[in-house]
Amino acid sequence: MPSDLAIRPHAGPAAARCRPPIAHALGQNAGLILAAVILLLCIAGFAAMFWLQQQRLPGNFEITSTVNNTMPLALAAVGQSIVVLTRGIDLSVGGVIDLTNALAAIWLTGSVLHMAGVSVLIVLIGAVAGLFNGLLVGLGRLQPIVVTLATLSIFQGLAIRVLPQPGGAVPPGYTDVLVNPNQPTALVFLVIAVAGWMALRRSRLGVGIFAIGNDESSAVALGVNAMRTKIAAYMIGGALYALAGLFLAANATAGDATTGDGYTLSSIVAVVLGGVNLFGGRGSAVGAICGAFITTMIVNILFFSHINPLYQSFYEGLFLVIAVVFGALIGRLVRGRR
Amino acid sequence: MTRLLPSVNALRVLAAYGAAVLLFVIGEWVHPGFASFGSVTSILLVASFVGLVAAGQCFVILIGGIDLSVPWVLNAAAILLVTTSLGEDGRALYAVAATLGMGALAGLANGIGVVWFGVPAVVMTLAMNGIIEGLALGLSGGMTCSTCASYAPPVIAAAVHDVWLGIPAALWLWLAVIAVVSFVLSLTRFGRVTYAIGNNARAAYLAGINVNLTTVGLYALSGLFSAMAGILLVGFGGQASLGMGTPYLFQSIAAVVIGGVSILGGSGSYLGAAAGAASLTALVSVLLALNMPDYGRSIIYGVVILALLLLYGREQRE
Repeated sequence: MPSDLAIRPHAGPAAARCRPPIAHALGQNAGLILAAVILLLCIAGFAAMFWLQQQRLPGNFEITSTVNNTMPLALAAVGQSIVVLTRGIDLSVGGVIDLTNALAAIWLTGSVLHMAGVSVLIVLIGAVAGLFNGLLVGLGRLQPIVVTLATLSIFQGLAIRVLPQPGGAVPPGYTDVLVNPNQPTALVFLVIAVAGWMALRRSRLGVGIFAIGNDESSAVALGVNAMRTKIAAYMIGGALYALAGLFLAANATAGDATTGDGYTLSSIVAVVLGGVNLFGGRGSAVGAICGAFITTMIVNILFFSHINPLYQSFYEGLFLVIAVVFGALIGRLVRGRR
Repeated sequence: MTRLLPSVNALRVLAAYGAAVLLFVIGEWVHPGFASFGSVTSILLVASFVGLVAAGQCFVILIGGIDLSVPWVLNAAAILLVTTSLGEDGRALYAVAATLGMGALAGLANGIGVVWFGVPAVVMTLAMNGIIEGLALGLSGGMTCSTCASYAPPVIAAAVHDVWLGIPAALWLWLAVIAVVSFVLSLTRFGRVTYAIGNNARAAYLAGINVNLTTVGLYALSGLFSAMAGILLVGFGGQASLGMGTPYLFQSIAAVVIGGVSILGGSGSYLGAAAGAASLTALVSVLLALNMPDYGRSIIYGVVILALLLLYGREQRE
């Protein structure tokens, strides 16, 4: 990238070893910490604005609806971050969410057992969609961006075949379990996702994901199976997009084969705001979750600032650029203190 | 640089043209009259809009970038053209200049963000798409402004539809763009520099190339081409509408990639991308001629892109 053109003396591993542990942790997690700070600032800004207009702090209702509305994006962003960490990118997110959302709307009926079985099946379908992407990228040695562009079209087509018109119905009981409209219980699922991420990044597979994202040929030389790792990353991604599709259906209590389309780009935005490096190897799914919530908070803040909703994309785009520029600046300052 | 490279690229370009010809043959087979001269020119006329956007996309992909701001730069261009020209020929020149300027300015901002602020191209152009979308929607009041329903000036409609020597004018324009862009890329210093940056930006910098300025220029060109496509699209359809730019993002990237341009930059040609645009449009037309429902078209579209990629788009094993 042009910004890296200035040739700096390379700080070798010896320099890294000399840094105190706290500075090291700061440097390694600069993206995540920054995302968390931005999120806290957004929450504080929103609370202040809410206070000014309603003379009270955001309560249970506001928190619950924010969490429920963000769940699909948060899950999609976790999936996207795992793919991005391998130095890939997944544009088929929208298609997988469309497809799983459509399937959820027509299959989710009957007994609890049936619905649980259907949910598992839908998540598996998402994983199979990811497997398809992974095989093309890993085995077919095709570029992720073009592969997933093509599969996006395929999955969107399948979704419209499954549910030509918006409709179907999701039983209220299912909605209550996934996105309880009265309490922010959906946070439990996020905690599970974070726990899963913690386990993954310490596993052999997780180390492999980071390794091929940093330097694929070195990773392969050290015995990482790049093909299998990539396939697994896309499969985990696909399963998470399917979960996002389920949460989207539960939240809307109906299905629509096109509502998922926007998640392709918004999941990338969330990942970037979450401090995950788009060139792979650096970042955290926790950051991606923060990024998803930042996105929602920005929309909330814009709503409460009484800004003409037509200008919403303008402010979102502006915010994205500013956040990334300042993020890079602060990241450089933190890393520059080595 | 190995001399083997151009011949591989030439094969890819030939494959893209072969795909286009094959699709017209299939079209004629399933729907007699599909490959008649009139039908081919009207399909290529539609392809020219994708082709123009693909020219800009090709420039930025050649240096390993990407332009995701296509949809709303195109759409804003269409809106700007009708609202400034008000359908009057007398204002057309000024409206076209303003519109092309807006496109180039959006592209310039993309380039500046990528080069001097170090924002990844995906993020910068995605954000620019949102910024332009917000401005276009906000300033036009969501297309409710009194001038928003204006038609394109007759002279611009004529510049798309008028037939010279049996070929619509917009198609002549596209052929001229193909010639100029191919000339610039293969025979000028600017073209050489573009490939050099795409192959290795650092090496290009060390060789004394002004990488930053070239990069900014290429993004500005991409914005310019999106705006040009917007102008022609308004001339073609008569009016501007919201969302008219949306299909052109993925189509332009697909055309460039099908045409054998490496998404990592550094290799490929606009001649191939133009063939990619033609074959994509021919494919859609064949499927329409077959009365294929929406979902089927979407699926086959993806499958064909994958098939073409597997045929010749694979990374070389290192």
